[in-house]
Formats: sequence, C-alpha cells, structure tokens
Amino acid sequence: MDTLLDFWAAYESTVAFAAVNAFFALSTYAVMSTGLLSFATVAFAACGGFLGVQLMASLHWPLLLVLPASALGGTAASVIVALVFLRLESHWLALASLALILITRILVLNAPTLTGGVNGLGVPIQASLGLLAVLLAGAALVFWRLSASWYGIAASAVREDPAVASSIGIAPKRLQLIAFAISGAMGGLGGVLLAMVLQFLSPETYYINIAFTMIAAVVLGGSYHWAGAILGAFVFTALPVAMQALVPAIQDVASGLALLLIMILLPRGLVDPRAWRARAASRAIERS
Amino acid sequence: MQLLIEQIINGCALGAVYGLFAIGFGLVFSTLGILNAAHGTYATFAAIAAYYGSTALGLPFALTVLTGVLSGAVLALVVDQLAFQPLRGRGSGMIGALITSIACWMVLDSLAGSATEQQSLSFPVGTYPGAIWYVGSVPLPEMQILAIGLLLAVTVGVHWLLAHSRLGAAMRAVGWNQAAAQIAGVNPRVVIVATAALAGATSGLAGVLGGISTNNVSASLGEGMLLKGFAAVVVGGFSDVRGAAVAGVGLGVAEVLSAQYISSSMRDAITYGLLLGFLVLRPRGLFGAASFVRA
Repeated sequence: MDTLLDFWAAYESTVAFAAVNAFFALSTYAVMSTGLLSFATVAFAACGGFLGVQLMASLHWPLLLVLPASALGGTAASVIVALVFLRLESHWLALASLALILITRILVLNAPTLTGGVNGLGVPIQASLGLLAVLLAGAALVFWRLSASWYGIAASAVREDPAVASSIGIAPKRLQLIAFAISGAMGGLGGVLLAMVLQFLSPETYYINIAFTMIAAVVLGGSYHWAGAILGAFVFTALPVAMQALVPAIQDVASGLALLLIMILLPRGLVDPRAWRARAASRAIERS
Repeated sequence: MQLLIEQIINGCALGAVYGLFAIGFGLVFSTLGILNAAHGTYATFAAIAAYYGSTALGLPFALTVLTGVLSGAVLALVVDQLAFQPLRGRGSGMIGALITSIACWMVLDSLAGSATEQQSLSFPVGTYPGAIWYVGSVPLPEMQILAIGLLLAVTVGVHWLLAHSRLGAAMRAVGWNQAAAQIAGVNPRVVIVATAALAGATSGLAGVLGGISTNNVSASLGEGMLLKGFAAVVVGGFSDVRGAAVAGVGLGVAEVLSAQYISSSMRDAITYGLLLGFLVLRPRGLFGAASFVRA
C-alpha cells in the first residue's frame, strides 16, 4: 500500500498535466474533426489563461465563475480568429495558426499590465485532481454526445469531402466556425487549468511546445475519435516520465524514438474506429 | 547616415543567413509537402560538425564550411529516409510527416544539447575570415560579404537548377503531383533524395554562417533559424527560391533597423507581424504562384 502511495505522490503531477493536455488535445480534435489542422488552440489557451488568472488575482472572482469566463474568453478569441482564418485554404490556415502562436508570445511580452510581461504572473488558486477529473469527464460527455449528434455526423462528412458535404446541404464554413468555437472553449478552459496546475505563467507558458504536444497527442491517440485525443494526451504526457524512470540518461531521445515508432507502426493512432468496424465486419462474416 | 548604412549591411548579412535557411526549408515544403519541424536541427548539427572540424581537426575555413554543408545534407537524408519514407504512399498527408518530424526534432535537439554539453560554443577568432574592408569610412567585415555572396550564388544556382535543368523539372513535377510525374517517367525516389540532400546542404551552410556570425553554436541556433526561415519562406512565396532569398534579406534588414531605431522588443514583432499579415492577406507571398495545390 505504501509503495502505491509513493507511486501516486511521484506521479500525481504527471496525471494533472496529462488532464490539462487532454483539454488542449480535445480543442485540436474539435477543429480537426471538420478536416482542418490548426495550432490556434495555444492562442485561445493564452486568452483563457491570462483572463482567468486576472479575474482570480485582481477581481477575486470565485472559481465557479472564473472557469466559465475563461472558456468564454477562449471562445470569443476563437470566433474572431476563425472569421479571419476560415477564408484561407486549409494548408495556409495551418501555417497562419502557427504564426498566431508566435504573435501571441510577442503580445504577452508587450502587455505587462495584463500578463506580467517577462516577469510572469503568479496564480493564487491551485487546481485539484478532483476538479480536473470532473471537468475532463464533463468535456468527454459533451464530445460523446456531439459525436452522435447531427453536428458530429455533418462534421465527419465535411472532413471526408467538403464538396460532397455542401452538395447534401451542409455548409462547411459554418460547421467549421462552430468547431472553432468549441475549440476555443476547450482551449480557454485548458489554458486556465494549466495556469492553476503550474501556479505560474510566463510568456513561454503558451508557446510552440504546447502546439507540438497537443498535435502529437491527437495523432498518437487517433484523430478519428474524441477518446483518441484524451488517450493520446495521457500517453504522450506519460512517455517522457516513463522514459526518465527507465533510461534517465537519454530520456528525450527515447521519447522521440518512441513517438517515431508509434507513428510509423500505427499511423491512424491508438483509437481507430475504422479498425473496429473492419474487425466487427470480419467477425460477422465468420459467423454467417 | 553612416550608422544607417552600417546597419543595413548588418541586416543584409543576417538576412542572408535567414534566406539560405529558408531556401532549404521552402524546397522541402513545396516539393515534398513536408512542414519539417526538424529542419532547424540540420543547421544546428552542421554548425556543430563544422565547429569540431575546425577546432579539433584544425581544418582550414573552406573545408570547415564544406564539413557543415555535407553534414547538413547527410543528416537531412537520414531523417528523410527514417522518418518520412515509411509514411509515403499511405496518404497520411501533411500531419503524419509533421508528427514524425517533431519526433526527430526531439531526438536531434537533445543530441545537439549533449554534443555541445548544454553550452553555447563559438568559433575561435582566426578560424574564419575576420578582416574588415573599408569603402570610404563604411566598414565591410569579410564574413558579411561572404554571407551575402553565398546567398546570391546559392539562389542563382538553385533557381537555375529548378527552372532549367532536367532534375529541376522533375522536382517541380513531383511537387505538383507525384503520381502524374511517375506516369511521365520521373523516378520520385531520386527526386526525393536529391531534394532532401539539397535542402539539408543549404540549411547546413546557413547553420555554419549563422553560428560564426552570431557567436552561438547550440540547439537554440537552429530553433531561431527555423522560425525566421519559416517567416521568410511565407513572405517570399513557397514556390520560388528567389522569393525566399529576397524575403530573408528583407526580414534581416527590418529586424536590425527596428532594433536600432524603434526598440529591441519590436524586433520579433515586425517579423511575425509580417508573417501573419502575409498569410492572411497574400498567402502566396511576394513571388508565389496564384494557387497552392501541392501536398
């Protein structure tokens, strides 16, 4: 029992980071499920994060109001970004969202009254694992219901072929705008939760490394199912920690190689609905 | 007035390094359809190899540069064959290769850290041309002239290769549509290998020159170049190497002048502002073709 408790104490923070990364991964998945690659989640996270921390620290809002406000902040940012970016062709959208991350850091550095500038910003409230678990379960519930809704089915149609989707009465751009709004809410929430886990925000908090983490998590977990984003976030967050325990000298090299191997061997990710359907079909054939 | 001229020359030399890097980065994106996060590490490793070639083996300057260029090319080939080749023909598109390139970046970045013992190395004075020429009272350091000259030579060379040679035609064909190119008798494997090696070589050259001129040989060298090179490629247009060169020099000059006359914190703001502005308003860049149907 004691060893179990020691284990938990050592890896508690890993679980917390994995839960936060799951929000970022869900945010990326929301946009990807309509066929777009966007890194803009990092910017939404910065909006939600700095807004939430200011509300907590300066205005002393209770947590129950801060969380929805951060999600709304992220959503507002995402709708503005989407209105501009959705005019672009999909490859350019991916690149523009990458540029948005670089700009975000510059803005954070140059708005010290809101963000603390280079000195960073302390965060007064810490996120408990229970809170993270409840919120993540709530988010999973939303994505589960969405995936079976008209929106979810229309989104997968847009992802497979926007031209065909619009020929059967789905407006791809409108659907993608909704996807961005969902992505913004998840990103904003993830941003404030990251702040509450880290207890400190610097201009480097919301930067390229989050973008790489979340996109790797989504693709690793499987980009065709919402559960893939969550599973991928946990695997990708645990990977460096596991490698540190196993091969401390070369942990970064080992995690990189592990990611490379998983991508080459399982290109559609760990959660792959198409493989399930294929297996179910072959079983049905055997039975008949 | 003299300060302005000096700073413009400084900016051109800095921009020449960005431009050289951007040529390689853009070539991989437009021909192979890969947004390569590991590209910056080619420059880092080229600079590290050149550094050890110069300090440990005592190679003369020309061979030092050649060492860097060759190691950039070899590394690019190895990464391409290990990380990108297994994904080809699977239709995993840009995202799959992006993830494997992130994996390579993690590995190579960590290895670069060990190779430099987590420090920032710098080429010892005397291992590279350090003379300063004067035109009137304006100083022209030899290294800066060399950087600008090499950018011109590489741009003209690569542009000629792409626009007028058989290999270049094959590269453009594969960038446009690999299946169609194959039907027309192009061997895509040869084109892929040649493109990767050429891109690695130009980025390696940028790494060596950048490492010398900024006195910084470390993992952060490649990271900075990756972001600036990305900006230069977007502003210049992916489908034209001349665009990458011009935009690289332009960004270098803009950075140096804004650091001198506005404030040093505005330095990156102008680069990335231009980047986002071009992506939103004129995604094809200064010299790009009107449509983007690759990858």
